[in-house]
Amino acid sequence: MISTAPAIADIPLPIDQWTQPFWSAACRCELVMPCCADCGTWRWPPGPFCPHCLSQAIAWQLAGPARLYSFAIVHRPGPTPADSPQAIVPGLVEFPEAGGMRIAAAIIDSKIDRIAIGSALSVRWVPKDETNVPMFVVV
Amino acid sequence: MLRLKATPFDQIKWQPGRRTLNKPAAAIAGSGATPYYFRGKSAPQTQYELIGKAVIAACVDAGIAVTEIDGLVSYAHGFEASNICEMLGIPELSYAATVTGQGGGSAGVLDLAASAIETGRARHVVCIGCSQQLGGHRYGTSLASLATTSTGVFSLFAGLVGPGPSMALLARRHMHKYGTRREAFAEVVMASRDYAQTMPEAIRKNPVTLDDYFAAPMLADPLCRLDFCLETDAALAFVVTGSDRARDLRHKPVYIEGAAHGGGGDWGRGFLSLNMPDDVFASAGSERVARQVYARAGVSAKDIDVALIYDHFSPLVVMQLEDYGFCPRGEGGRFVESGAIRPGGAIPVNPHGGHLSECYAIGMTHIREAVEQLRGTAVNQVPDARLALVTGGPAPVPVSAAILGN
Ligand SMILES: [Zn+2]
Repeated sequence: MISTAPAIADIPLPIDQWTQPFWSAACRCELVMPCCADCGTWRWPPGPFCPHCLSQAIAWQLAGPARLYSFAIVHRPGPTPADSPQAIVPGLVEFPEAGGMRIAAAIIDSKIDRIAIGSALSVRWVPKDETNVPMFVVV
Repeated sequence: MLRLKATPFDQIKWQPGRRTLNKPAAAIAGSGATPYYFRGKSAPQTQYELIGKAVIAACVDAGIAVTEIDGLVSYAHGFEASNICEMLGIPELSYAATVTGQGGGSAGVLDLAASAIETGRARHVVCIGCSQQLGGHRYGTSLASLATTSTGVFSLFAGLVGPGPSMALLARRHMHKYGTRREAFAEVVMASRDYAQTMPEAIRKNPVTLDDYFAAPMLADPLCRLDFCLETDAALAFVVTGSDRARDLRHKPVYIEGAAHGGGGDWGRGFLSLNMPDDVFASAGSERVARQVYARAGVSAKDIDVALIYDHFSPLVVMQLEDYGFCPRGEGGRFVESGAIRPGGAIPVNPHGGHLSECYAIGMTHIREAVEQLRGTAVNQVPDARLALVTGGPAPVPVSAAILGN
């Protein structure tokens, strides 16, 4: 069984000034994460203060390689009764070179029995509105 | 009888609660509840009608008039003190407070109520909790509405549409890190169901075998349907008063030995943030509140006779048993599999069947069960129960806990 992407077309994408750089980079298919420009502490989610030094200055940097920290497998029926059942895999994706920060993201187009904690992942950008949403496949 | 005994407000002699007879200052004197309904079946009663019935029942149980209520404490979900005063004709409040949060604060109502009693701000504080899911609103899909924010949207894009898949992330990590088996989650479910068989109002009473458990559909692997709690409607209320006063009322007082609501910044929003440090991630986020509540009560896990553990998802029971010190970190699975949470085990857990089998009312049925255990009137009575631990849900801070005694 191969994991399916969750339907995201109808999910609104609210963007504020702190998440906007993420989505601008995603538009170019670049996965960036916020790092404090003063003390170098990574943080997720993006927000107005560095929780370590309270600075508001952010240096957005490429997140680097991704690996699977944890995941769930959600089985659901196919879109129509004729379709076979689907498996959606919500994952928690860890970026060891970005302070070990984690982003929740779907694990798609991957054989279910190959999905494991620690799996190396590569990003797949799924178009959404004016930008792209990161999903991941097991390498 | 409910309206006759109120003392005019300006004639009340105000004094802070205090320890007397070496007992804590505050005690639970009354406990009231509506019937337990399957999700949506409490209609056409409104949420406030359910609350009103629970409050009246708690006052009757305590033997006080509703008009004697001068403090109202609720747990999240937006009950307004003003509506309750208007509905029940409460003449004057001197304390009104709500525990913030999303599931963690249930036992925290007792912390707020005790604070009011200890500082003399009120004499009869009623703690309220209510769960009602009408018109298609379901807690099971509640993250869908929570997550439509600029940062929460990532969870939605990941397919984390309800609390179940998020809890599955924690459970899988615990299994990976500590070797916890699904058999442990099954044991939490089976123990709950065995206890529920004798509970008159339990929604699910049929016993569950290990085969049944492994045959149940996987809703969010590694969680199956039986790992999820019920979705039910109910309101519960508790009268908290000074211990001196409680001793003059109808029942043996159930003392609030210690209560706490708060938690660690490293747990923070928990399953909504998912960026907790690795050791905290595979936990229920309750370790700091555990430390607080034990310190306030001056006891430790080994002194607790019965534990009412918030059980919205069975793996989180295993993790809370670790957080609250009933077994070492990582040993929760093996601990429950040894039979520890059964009658006569190291720590009987949820003898009322809990959220998994009896009723889900956001932690409030756990307080009710603690009161009954300590009055000695519980259906599945733990012999000679002297101290009960009640926990709030492993949810975003504040999480909460209370230790009650008799
Ligand atoms: Zn900083």
